[in-house]
Amino acid sequence: MGNDILPKEIIQQFSDSPVSINMGDKNFGDVMVVGGGVSGIQASLDLATAGFKVYLVEKGPSIGGHMAQLDKTFPTNDCSM
Amino acid sequence: MEGKKGDFNVSLKTKPRYIIEDKCTGCTTCVQYCPVHYPDPFNQDISDNKAVHVYFSQAIPLVAYIDDSCLRLKDKKCDICSGVCKTGAIDFRQTTKKTDINVGAIILSSGITPFDPSAKEEYGYKTMQNVVTSMDYERLLSSTGPFEGEVLRTIDKKHPKKIAWIQCVGSRRVTEGDNSYCSGVCCTYTQKQVILTKHHYEDVQCTIFHNDIRSFGKDFERYFQRAEQLPGVEFIRSYASIEKEIPETRNVIVRYATADDGVKREEFDMVVLSIGLNPPAAYKEISEKFGIELNSHGFSKSDSSNPIKTNRPGIFVSGAFLGPTDVPESVFTASGASAQTGELLDYRRDKLAKERVYPIERDVSAEEPKIGVFVCHCGANISSVVNVPSTVDYARTLPNVVYATEQIFSCATNSAREITDLAIEKGFNRVVIAACSPRTLEPLFRDTLREAGLNQYYLDMANIREHCSWVHAKQKDEATQKAHDIVRMSVARAGELEPLLEFDLPVNKAALVVGGGIGGMTCALSIAKQGHEVHLVEKAKDLGGMARRLHTTLEKLDVQTYLDELIHKVYQNPLIHISHEATIKEVSGYLGNFTTTIETEGRIKTIKHGVSVLAIGAEEYKPSEYLYGESDKVFTHLELGEEIARGNKAIINAESLVMIQCVGCRNEDRNYCSRVCCGHAVKNALKLKEKNPDMRIYIIFRDMRTYGFREDAYREASEKGVQFIRYTPEDKPLVEKAKEGGKDVIRVIVPDLILGQRLELTADVLSLAAAVIPSTSTNEIASHFKVTLSPDEFFKEAHVKLKPVEFATDGVFLCGTAHYPKHIPETINQAYGAAGRVLTLLSKDTVVASGSVARVNDYDCVACGACISACTYDAIEFRDTPKGKKAFVNPILCKGDGLCNTKCPTNAIMLKHFTNAALLKQIDAAVTSKDILEQMDAVLEEA
Amino acid sequence: METITPFIEVIDEIKEAGGEIFKMCFQCGLCDAVCPWNKVRPFSMRKIIREAAFGLTEIEGEDIWRCTTCGTCPAQCPRGVKQIDVSVALRRVATEYDVFPASVKSARTARASLISEGNPLQGERKKRADWAKDLSVKTYAEGMEVLYFVGCYLSYDPRMKKVATATANILKKAGVEFGILGDQESCCGESIRKTGSEQVFKDLARKNIKTFIDNGVKKIIVSSPHCFHTFKNEYPEFMVNFEIVHMSQYILELINDGRLSLKGEFPQRVTYHDPCYLGRHNNVYDEPRDLLKKIEGLELVEMEDSRKKSLCCGGGGGRIWMDTPREDRFSDIRLKQARKVGAQILATACPYCITNFEESRLNLEYENVLEVKDITEIISDML
Repeated sequence: MGNDILPKEIIQQFSDSPVSINMGDKNFGDVMVVGGGVSGIQASLDLATAGFKVYLVEKGPSIGGHMAQLDKTFPTNDCSM
Repeated sequence: MEGKKGDFNVSLKTKPRYIIEDKCTGCTTCVQYCPVHYPDPFNQDISDNKAVHVYFSQAIPLVAYIDDSCLRLKDKKCDICSGVCKTGAIDFRQTTKKTDINVGAIILSSGITPFDPSAKEEYGYKTMQNVVTSMDYERLLSSTGPFEGEVLRTIDKKHPKKIAWIQCVGSRRVTEGDNSYCSGVCCTYTQKQVILTKHHYEDVQCTIFHNDIRSFGKDFERYFQRAEQLPGVEFIRSYASIEKEIPETRNVIVRYATADDGVKREEFDMVVLSIGLNPPAAYKEISEKFGIELNSHGFSKSDSSNPIKTNRPGIFVSGAFLGPTDVPESVFTASGASAQTGELLDYRRDKLAKERVYPIERDVSAEEPKIGVFVCHCGANISSVVNVPSTVDYARTLPNVVYATEQIFSCATNSAREITDLAIEKGFNRVVIAACSPRTLEPLFRDTLREAGLNQYYLDMANIREHCSWVHAKQKDEATQKAHDIVRMSVARAGELEPLLEFDLPVNKAALVVGGGIGGMTCALSIAKQGHEVHLVEKAKDLGGMARRLHTTLEKLDVQTYLDELIHKVYQNPLIHISHEATIKEVSGYLGNFTTTIETEGRIKTIKHGVSVLAIGAEEYKPSEYLYGESDKVFTHLELGEEIARGNKAIINAESLVMIQCVGCRNEDRNYCSRVCCGHAVKNALKLKEKNPDMRIYIIFRDMRTYGFREDAYREASEKGVQFIRYTPEDKPLVEKAKEGGKDVIRVIVPDLILGQRLELTADVLSLAAAVIPSTSTNEIASHFKVTLSPDEFFKEAHVKLKPVEFATDGVFLCGTAHYPKHIPETINQAYGAAGRVLTLLSKDTVVASGSVARVNDYDCVACGACISACTYDAIEFRDTPKGKKAFVNPILCKGDGLCNTKCPTNAIMLKHFTNAALLKQIDAAVTSKDILEQMDAVLEEA
Repeated sequence: METITPFIEVIDEIKEAGGEIFKMCFQCGLCDAVCPWNKVRPFSMRKIIREAAFGLTEIEGEDIWRCTTCGTCPAQCPRGVKQIDVSVALRRVATEYDVFPASVKSARTARASLISEGNPLQGERKKRADWAKDLSVKTYAEGMEVLYFVGCYLSYDPRMKKVATATANILKKAGVEFGILGDQESCCGESIRKTGSEQVFKDLARKNIKTFIDNGVKKIIVSSPHCFHTFKNEYPEFMVNFEIVHMSQYILELINDGRLSLKGEFPQRVTYHDPCYLGRHNNVYDEPRDLLKKIEGLELVEMEDSRKKSLCCGGGGGRIWMDTPREDRFSDIRLKQARKVGAQILATACPYCITNFEESRLNLEYENVLEVKDITEIISDML
């Protein structure tokens, strides 16, 4: 899944994530990215590296999207993970 | 969601996972004991999983979750998992949580949903056991799939020997429940599946049923040829129909049409449906919640002058929600969305985000090496071959090793934390990770050392996956022995590692953009709008580039008006400095600190900048075939478009017009597809039909490559009466001048494959789809910026998917047709993508240079220059020193590849982190002295 | 390879005749792959469409007459080419030029009979209601619950008259107040239209519509899916709409409403053949099956090609009147499919299908192993 490390600025809103906050509390961020597939991950990484606080929201239990399900990718046959 | 740009309030509901993430170690003990077997969605329901499970072996976060099939959740019956979980991570009291978040902008990257063919009876999906979708097949091919990478039929666990792929399932069809657009990815992913299948099983016969091969992307044409040329692979031009399943064998009978031999019937062991891409399942909900408009297909409705933008300010779209896209486009539109967000929120950059703070580094140079060893299972990737516990035990016996343990996935977040914690607790000063290749994960593991207050260069990775388990899958004992050897060698090297300093380089915050076409201007504007100076360099007198010659697009963009506005914005922006009639004379420096000398309007100018963007565009091939230049009735598509825009009566009033596609490319000279010409031909044809509905228009083509929503325009052209005739490169159209009814015409003779006859067409105008070819200045610019070219001589990106708008040379970016032919909206997206990546550097004050660079020992250097000619980065030069002329390595330019070391005749040049001392220790450890002695004894005995 | 020039005038003629949709074809070949003809002999709809697109149609040849209008290819065509419309247009052009191959000659006889007697079977118009003579079936009068539109085959064909009788029996048992039009009834015109005789179709339709209106008809029950189709989908071209119900739907409704009940057991293995004009053209797949399932003891089995994939009997598109050599008959294949699943009875709901199946049954010498029945015949025995 790329050779970048997820910066700490990205807070993943997974179910029961450690950052979950009590009902009604306001959390401030710069950008919300909806969808944790390859595009959402890249957008989050770029934004975080460029100095923005990002909330990445994914409906599934893991980020990765459909690309994570692919065996390899064309046209280089690189591993999609 | 409510609010407006700069101030959106979003409330999120988070489904309970029933697992306390902090406590779950991803050990999967609960999964083993869970009694509920449930079809595994990640494996396309082909294999089972449990009600509690980890989504997939490399999931992030790598913690379990409990799904709706759980007995406890259903009727409070079972509590096994809570009992077996050693860390007490199971928590059934969790409930849905609501979180309110305030953000300034939103990016929708909702992706796609694979087409579901089960609603279409005729495909037999779900009713015939050996009809699978391409998504199912991906899982069958995958080593983490249902059969661990063996392609098997679910029904009898046999290897299929004959496999058919049926293309355009759910795509390019107007039938109910299908999509009329082309999904754009299926042709090439099918070729990938064929190549991988043949790699797995040499003797499998692969047949692909299709109607056009759409290899429109960079390097796709060669990829197609690679698939097509494999033995036992056949591409058949016919959509196929599934007749029936044979009850005894469960094989599938497929029927297809041929032009010469009628309909054929063939039996296959497995049929793969190459399913297309649907909009995200929740597209209506997304549209309503975020108040954005959708197009008629359910994807984001885009303005072709900026597809990433939505109708709602502050909300952007990236990836496949823009329309069916492949991975590279998903990645660069993400960077593009990031750039546009940056334009909007530049004022609040760095206000909320915090830099990471690491503990102060501990000086351990005086300590004896104390090494911690972590042996990774990599799920089953390593542990199914190598005996991991035995390797851990062995590691404990090695000198200087103070601790060793095993991990399921060392790269998982919790495992990484464990490495940090243990390093502090046990007081390691060196760490060896026995896992995979350092290529991908070394940065992550170095980070764990930094977190533990250790210098990150005190890490060594023992590659027991690529170098061991993956290549010795059938020799488990030997592989375990080899893993011991590799770990022993790694430990030996680790003892010799030295701490290295990485240093921060100041970044000049200006950018240089080469090329003033749509790509260059769009990129320049976006960078400038984020507060950075941009030097825009254009070789022509005016800005605009190739777009000056384009007037309309299939998306109905008025190109000239758009271009005028864009140029106006560029001139208006005080941060953009434009140089006209400019040529690049010299480029020096490196990421963060480039100096470029240009000649502009006769003057020499020096520009200092931190990054460079190369957007030099492409050119049109001048045909030497089909009477081009010999008859005033023959044009290129680009010229035809210009003539239509000018209102040339001879063209608009023509009775008959013929277009020939693939002129100057998809041949031996240029083995690529120019991507834009099919769309271009259809665009011109539609424009002409609009002006003169009676005109007879024939488009002679090889494969219609109107990918994506352009398929609708192709169909519209058919509807308007444009006729399409397919030709093959073996039997090209013949073109000659002729006279008919007293007027000069062009006669075109082309065989029609379905009719089995040659058609003779009379044309008043002939238009040629002339190839898009690299700019003549490509080579020169490439050598100035030390960037490389692809086989087709377009610019080569650093990585097709991970770094699609960057060069391998740090600080140099690319966009537009210099990378590969593309349509205007694609160029615009990519230009924003480049701007997004540029900002990841320019928004920082410094960049970090690696500590692992070469250094020259002046005493030993004999100034022979061997290292200078070996270096591909021009990082070494002679400098005058008190001891005379000596080689000097610029540590910023050095990439640490070690080429110079091998050339130096006096060992004067050394590469930090790969010192002779460390490497020799590692080599010495390959064979133990005990082994050597035994060997000697044996020889002596024999003597 | 011969070199030819597109024949613009012919293209225009085909367009004029309503076949312009050929322009949508992108030659994927799926029509050929699914066409039942290719189970018996080579035939390329794709080529017919391609020839039409360049005005190169062999107007005097056999091929433009082959399409049985079974509807399989248009249902799957990715480009929405209405192959039936193109076929009909080509036949119109051929009819215009008055050129016909030998096999089509008998369809010309049917046409003549339709013009003079209102039926294709050379029966006298005044004998149209003879089948009902002894059944005390009323002539339709305004205010009756339904009009039973009998259709040509059920009125004249000796085999099909049994189906008419069975139908009348069921309706009476259920206490339905119904009537027939007798010699006022004309052929619905569906099939003659498909042979390119547009004017004959229009004349027949006009006669029928006039009769319906004159008699105050609102709801029409039909036995033939061809009548069903043309009343439902083609008569509205003349801006009239009647409520059209197929007999299989109607009987099911009668049973569900408690107006009709079935008695006794019928311990037979039955397979149901979907007529093209009931299934593919009008999406009626379930009612005939549901009806059969109501019968105690009856075991319903499905043949290899069923529902959307149902194999055409070969009788649509006017083919019922043309000569098809034995080796080219789809109905033979269909009977073999029925035997393969062990059916004792091949049930269906279309006079063309029954006609073709009965002939194949004789030719294949299946008289002792397989019966061909209309659903109404089975129901009628269970009252």
